[in-house]
Amino acid sequence: MPLPQWALALANESGRSGGTDAALAAVTSLPHLEERALVAEAQAGSRAAFEELVRRYDRDVLRLALNLMKRPEDARDVYQEAFLKVYRNLHRFRFECSFYTWLYRIVTNVCLDQLRRRQARPEDQAPEVHSAHEDGITDFFERQREYRATQDPERRLMGNEIRVRIARAMERLSPRERIVFEMKHYQGLKLRAIGDALGTTEETVKNSLFRATRKLRSELGELR
Amino acid sequence: MSPNPAPKSGANCREVAELLVFYVCQEVSESERQQIATHLAACAACSKQLAEEQSLTEVVGAAAQAADEIDATGILLAQCRSEFAEKLDDMAVAAARPRWEPLGWLRRWMALRPAWSGAFLVIFGVMVGTQVVPWIHSGDSDDANGQAVKVMAAPKLSNDQLANMAVARVNVLPSSDPASATVRLQLSAAEPLEMSGNLEDLGVRRVLTYVVENGERFDPGVRLDCLDALKAVAREREVRTALLTAAQKDSNPAVRMKALEALRDSVADEPVREVLLDVLQRDANPGVRVEAVNLLVRSLGHDSAGGPLPGAAMVAPENANAAALAEDASVDRTLRALERLQRQDPSRYVRLRSAAALRQIGPRELQ
Repeated sequence: MPLPQWALALANESGRSGGTDAALAAVTSLPHLEERALVAEAQAGSRAAFEELVRRYDRDVLRLALNLMKRPEDARDVYQEAFLKVYRNLHRFRFECSFYTWLYRIVTNVCLDQLRRRQARPEDQAPEVHSAHEDGITDFFERQREYRATQDPERRLMGNEIRVRIARAMERLSPRERIVFEMKHYQGLKLRAIGDALGTTEETVKNSLFRATRKLRSELGELR
Repeated sequence: MSPNPAPKSGANCREVAELLVFYVCQEVSESERQQIATHLAACAACSKQLAEEQSLTEVVGAAAQAADEIDATGILLAQCRSEFAEKLDDMAVAAARPRWEPLGWLRRWMALRPAWSGAFLVIFGVMVGTQVVPWIHSGDSDDANGQAVKVMAAPKLSNDQLANMAVARVNVLPSSDPASATVRLQLSAAEPLEMSGNLEDLGVRRVLTYVVENGERFDPGVRLDCLDALKAVAREREVRTALLTAAQKDSNPAVRMKALEALRDSVADEPVREVLLDVLQRDANPGVRVEAVNLLVRSLGHDSAGGPLPGAAMVAPENANAAALAEDASVDRTLRALERLQRQDPSRYVRLRSAAALRQIGPRELQ
């Protein structure tokens, strides 16, 4: 799974273990310098510089929003709200952290707000319809073993079913747990970097990830 | 519970189990990694659990992501970019619009003569401090003109003002007693004014109930904020009437839902129950109907929280029979409505919820 551009940048800033550190540093150091100049130009009022900044990260912002919100209209709202906040507050950015961290913090806050609003107003969501798609396999992990062993045309169908069940299980996570899980497993960030982006400690992020994983295991393990 | 206790040498299964989540995604320290590996080599149960953790991570990582499916072609991204560029255009136009600067000549004059300007500002400050401030404090401020916003503690708005007002914002400052929480309303009637007071103030309450009852004139967000504020005094007669109106007539399902939620503590009252039954039959939104089902179950004393419902009045012995008869009729109507929903409601979820409600109420009332 390729890492998003800003994930590379965040990893570079917050530390990523393993042998990819040097490669990441080489990839991200030059753009980082250019970016500082871009941010300064945007702060001085250059719209072109600001639009260039947006284009560097908006694909990843939209991707994160889509994965978290699951609905295009909500993701579109997150996109617009987040970048408008960036535009209006860019003059307050003092380079105390990287631009990516700052941007990521804004985006995750907007997503958290949206998710919490959605939880507070459940009528906005269509009621869940549980499909009667059960067979004799009693355990999720047993199902996985069987699924991998067979390379027949049912594979895609099974994949779809698993995706639906994962999405349903993710719905049961709290907004923060969902964001932490998404950033860890789909954005590939280290816990420390996630803590930076969320403006919280690594320990808090760890607790969220632990709870999220436990809930998912419990939900997926109950497939019967 | 901390999910990440550092394992001691000779770590036990519980300690290792709590670390496996982080072990799989390489978020343990080197010493923890070694200790876990040593333990796993000798413990079949933990090895099995590790395999399950790895399987979960693998499956989750390999599953297609929502973004890949929803915007595989990048059309949504293109739309977002265009919309955002348009917003930036609009903001640029607004910023470039010439502004009226009544004292522009003074600013230009001052910019060219800094010494004179400094002296002028000092004198002006002294005059304001010694003359104007005491004059304001002497109580003559009622005549002060030019205030953009009038702040009133307990204002009285005429019916005309209410009919023509717009509500820009509703803020509730929380308090330990919800009924005494301070409510701030920013209104625009004949002139902008800010109203502040707690929910005991009839003026404040009148504006809030007016907004809720005349929903079509106000933004849904403002209506929701007003409902939030009124929740604490939902048992007051005029507030309850407004809430019932909103629950039945508001065009926005979120507002109707919120109105029902605010009536939560009044469900034992007959008029409220009547409205709930009406909502069950007429409301087009399944979420609202489900909320009505939940409240009806609660009204019959089957709330999951248990205990008597707030507002359930003690009945005098001589009135006990009449009350019981009325209660029976009401219960009967409720059960019939739920049975009808269970059979006929177009939403599968509502049908399931109604069936669950009937089971929850139990056979005692089903006779």
